[in-house]
Amino acid sequence: MSGPLVERVRVALAASRAADGGFGPVPGAPSEPEASAMAALALDDDGARAWLRRAQAADGGFLLGLDDAATAMAALALGNGSAVDRALDYLLAHRAEVLASDPHPNAVWGWAPHTYGWVDPTARAVLALRRLRPSATSAIEDGLVVLSDRECAGGGWNYGNASVLDQALVPYVHPSAMAMIALHGRTEAIAARGRAWLDAHWSDELGGLSLACTLVARRLLGDPVDKVIDALDARFEASGLLGDTVTLAWATIGLGDGIDDVRVTP
Amino acid sequence: MSRRTFLVRAGEVGAGAGALMLAGMSRNRRTYNPWDPSYYAPPKHANVAVAKSANYDGDLESLVREGLTTIGADVKGKRVLLKPNMVEYDAGTVINTDPRLVAATVLAVRRLGALDVTVGDGPGHRRDTDFVLAASGLESALAATDAKFVDLNTAPVRLVGLHTAYTNLGVLWLPEPVVSADVIISMPKLKTHHWAGVTLSLKNLFGCVPGRVYGWPKNVLHWAGLNEAIIDVAAAVRPHYAIVDGIVGMEGNGPIQGTAKASGVLVFGDDPVATDTVAARIMGFNPERIGYLAEAARFLGEGHWDRIDHRGEDPERVASDFAVLPQFQSLRLT
Repeated sequence: MSGPLVERVRVALAASRAADGGFGPVPGAPSEPEASAMAALALDDDGARAWLRRAQAADGGFLLGLDDAATAMAALALGNGSAVDRALDYLLAHRAEVLASDPHPNAVWGWAPHTYGWVDPTARAVLALRRLRPSATSAIEDGLVVLSDRECAGGGWNYGNASVLDQALVPYVHPSAMAMIALHGRTEAIAARGRAWLDAHWSDELGGLSLACTLVARRLLGDPVDKVIDALDARFEASGLLGDTVTLAWATIGLGDGIDDVRVTP
Repeated sequence: MSRRTFLVRAGEVGAGAGALMLAGMSRNRRTYNPWDPSYYAPPKHANVAVAKSANYDGDLESLVREGLTTIGADVKGKRVLLKPNMVEYDAGTVINTDPRLVAATVLAVRRLGALDVTVGDGPGHRRDTDFVLAASGLESALAATDAKFVDLNTAPVRLVGLHTAYTNLGVLWLPEPVVSADVIISMPKLKTHHWAGVTLSLKNLFGCVPGRVYGWPKNVLHWAGLNEAIIDVAAAVRPHYAIVDGIVGMEGNGPIQGTAKASGVLVFGDDPVATDTVAARIMGFNPERIGYLAEAARFLGEGHWDRIDHRGEDPERVASDFAVLPQFQSLRLT
């Protein structure tokens, strides 16, 4: 893979390491679950994994205030063991609200308990379950049903509203890439449509997180990535990806070996 | 169908019905005043100035400096945070506070003696702030001023106890740049809102709570009650000043899918409630019918028209009715 860029991004990511071994959302910030999980995956970092084990709540979740959406990525980062089992149990037990009027009764995942389900946290949970507990077929199917429901007209996803007050909303690259990271290797039509949409539109949104997640998605899908890497390189030079740990981690995963820790093998 | 029903339910906490819901919540809690009176002094005399500007191409820096001076803004020696509306980006519409105005405000505030000026926002729909920053033009506009941008969605946070109880949140995780700023200037776009009726300097403050705690969108706040959350957030952040970008606002199905409305005004205020009151009337709405605004006027700022010190242009002369969704027709002044 691209030596110079991956090294520059790794160095930038490492700047977010806190004294306690975890990683904060930006350099100089205290450690947080999502940042630590993403850095652990990207850098194969035992210090971050140790921090995660200490930070895990008694019920298995990984929370920042009300937000528990880091739980899926923490499970992926830890890889195996009782902490992973507890995190996956937490995912299965803590789903988003389903409204009586929803077209499907499938419960997915939101940003916090007792709120609505959205694309990004659902994609993370589906990925974690597919890779670490593929026997959770019912929960995985719930995710697939709702991701299908939330697909925008013409393909792709935004944060999770295909329309508001009967007006269609536009898809965004970042959540579309997250959905494809979750769906890579699946054969359903929704996966094929999402792949085609991402292929056609990734270059419309040349922001750091969008490019980093597109890179990961396309590597998992086996699609060409050279132009994505070039665009990511240019954006890194322009903005440093805003020093955002999560973005830098996804970029590092996309550029390096960490991709194998988010890959679902058939 | 499912999304519509959910959003209609969420919309029931918007304008008209929102006022009723707020009153009902007060009665249900047997708490008529869900704020700590020892923390919120009665509204002082509020200064609001309206300036005309046909476009963003003139000497905006001078216009902003004059507007801030007119309302008595004191930024000398202060660390100032400008909080524009950058909720998301769409090339075909006018969602965000114009970058030229933000840049001009950076320069104006520096000229007025600020020690430091930072621009910050936590976009609510898109997690990729890097994209919104670049695509919106704010990145290049700020580069020309050498101003720093901080992503409030990723900045370190501090847990802050609330002195209001409109929601059951009790606390808010607020970014350090918000908590530590000496002066916060809320810089919204003059827009309608499909759930709240209008989005102005108070609603703009949703961008101060980080998405990594409250979600994308900031759904935790929606589930806590939209109108109620607007008040709790505004009462926690308490911006010192407001500059409403109404040179080109948005009407109809705001805050994202509406249409551009060239109002040709900037509204400056040293009291965000008073500022929003004036801005709402410029849009052709009765601020007393905007649920969260009427409630905020009880304790957070001045909502009585006659107690606002009106400077600059006469708001009634520059008013121009904004188109609004059918469910918000009751907000109209006439």
